[in-house]
Amino acid sequence: MELLNNLALGLSVAASLGGLAYCFLGVTLGTLVGVLPGIGTMATLAMLLPITYHLEPNFALIMLAGIYYGAAYGGSTASILLNLPGTATSAVTGIDGYPMARKGQAGVALFMTAVASFVGSMFGVVLLSLFSVPLARVALEFGPQEYFSLMFLGLIAAALIGSGRSIRSLAAVTLGLALGLVGIDLNSGVARFAFGMPEFYDGLSLVAVAIGLFGLPEIISSAGRIIKAPMDTKDITLRSMLPSREQWRRSAMPMARGSGIGAFFGALPGTGGVVATFISYATEKKLSKHPEEFGKGAIEGIAAPESANNAAVQAAFIPTLSLGIPGDPVMAIMLGVMMVHGILPGPNVISGSPDLFWGLVMSFVIGNIFLMILNLPLIGIWVRILSIPYHLLFPVIVAFVCIGIYSVNFQVMDIYVLLAFGFFGWGMKALNFEVAPLLLGFVLGPMMEENFRRALVVSNGEIATFLTRPISGVIMGASLLIIAWFTVAGLRRALSRRGGYRDEQNA
Amino acid sequence: MLAYLKLRREDVIAGLITVAVGLFILTEAFDYRLGTLTRMGPGYFPMLLGVCMCLLGAVLLVFAEPGGRSESESEGSNLRGVLMVTAAFLAFALLIERVGMVPAIFVAVFLASLSNRTTSLLTAAMLAVGTALSCWLIFSLLLGLQIKAFW
Repeated sequence: MELLNNLALGLSVAASLGGLAYCFLGVTLGTLVGVLPGIGTMATLAMLLPITYHLEPNFALIMLAGIYYGAAYGGSTASILLNLPGTATSAVTGIDGYPMARKGQAGVALFMTAVASFVGSMFGVVLLSLFSVPLARVALEFGPQEYFSLMFLGLIAAALIGSGRSIRSLAAVTLGLALGLVGIDLNSGVARFAFGMPEFYDGLSLVAVAIGLFGLPEIISSAGRIIKAPMDTKDITLRSMLPSREQWRRSAMPMARGSGIGAFFGALPGTGGVVATFISYATEKKLSKHPEEFGKGAIEGIAAPESANNAAVQAAFIPTLSLGIPGDPVMAIMLGVMMVHGILPGPNVISGSPDLFWGLVMSFVIGNIFLMILNLPLIGIWVRILSIPYHLLFPVIVAFVCIGIYSVNFQVMDIYVLLAFGFFGWGMKALNFEVAPLLLGFVLGPMMEENFRRALVVSNGEIATFLTRPISGVIMGASLLIIAWFTVAGLRRALSRRGGYRDEQNA
Repeated sequence: MLAYLKLRREDVIAGLITVAVGLFILTEAFDYRLGTLTRMGPGYFPMLLGVCMCLLGAVLLVFAEPGGRSESESEGSNLRGVLMVTAAFLAFALLIERVGMVPAIFVAVFLASLSNRTTSLLTAAMLAVGTALSCWLIFSLLLGLQIKAFW
């Protein structure tokens, strides 16, 4: 009953004229940046930050969230038609989507993508509305130990799961944590890693760092590129998009499993859509009766990762809104917008601003319905947008990104930070380091240190406190298990390779 | 020995850099008060991170494996794009507080459009004028952003 009341409250916010308008604006923009390869969600959020300061917080968040999950829909379009993923999370969709398109089944692939995205999203939204309230209630009892352990688990999972180079990812996370500490330490007033520059006292700008690491390489590679027009798309009619009964049957279970996998990795702070899509794809390939079709246009290969991706995106709001722990940089920006409007992230958000939380939840439902309409009957528009003159669009994006970043603090230094991290990210990639774990460490760095310190103050310097408190102990135990698992696997691989090398030398 | 290192150049360089960064974090951390585990000073957590970095770098060095060319080098030849986009951001940073938003955007967009070799100077200039005016309209007039538009 309480849930119904809450949903009604949410509906009153989300279905108000402003709610509908900003939701529509958000998902449309999201689909647009998702469709266009090379413009990430982060860059879009940065461009829109100046606008959000003027909006009511409810509407600002509804719009920003719409961009976030709208991009998860749109990303697959370019993946399927051009084999050029619009977003990182849709790279997997291209493995089977592009072969399908070449077989003349582009319409079916796009249709199934939209349906799978909708199913995954709705699953995520249901979990969000069911579990956030109890989780926030439990979280009120959380001490700093639990918060630290949760973030520790998130970072370990983000670094190790789905990465082929565990040690490098762990190093990237650690460096990210250190970068997060730049600025004045709130406990002692000491400026750390600031090198005497007052611009660094408030820390490095998240938007500048994130766009430097992810956006700049994309802008550079896209600015020089001339996109070939997508294959003949006139024959994508609604009729040609409808999957056969056989294809429906084959997609049902993968969608269900994909939603589950996606929701799990989405709700875990640290891992998200990218990991979820890879794991759900691998799962389907393993379970399938005809694994040889994967990579050649198996419909399971798009249904599963697309539902996983969207379930992850929606589930990522669970830890963000009920615990105040951002699971990825986009969520950190959302929390930042909340703080600008005077809402302190944490377990009190849901009870303190129910209109904000439930308004957001209901806007997800409405937004996903908008997205179905945008991505099924209107898919032709987005396909045509792929052939706009790219080289003229990118300079405009550079301009908006400049203003967006500058407007956060009105600091020229932030532009230099963006450039510096652009080159830094390029250097990391050249040495096969991944930049995503670094950014996550950067986002969580200050919160982790704060909770680490507090935990040891309340426990009187007892480091075992992370293991002896029940909830914290379980989470810590899980993290240590993951570490042990990867250590054993890594050692075994290293030993067998070394053995192989010696054999070669002997031979 | 030299052949051993050469074969594993990729991992060895990564390991050395990781250790170096770790040592740098450590030296910085020791500049701040460390404190005790119960009452941590500003240096304690950075110290832990520095130790972690050094250990991870050491593991990379010890378990260095042969091969592993970088995978991201396929697009590496886009020098023009790198130079022009960098120049665009630099120009914005240098100009925004000296001459205001509209001229800064004009120069930035002009430079950024030249990163594509098919864009002519005239197209670049027209695009730059159009973008600068739209930004002025949106951010200064419509949103009232506190950035001065002109000098």
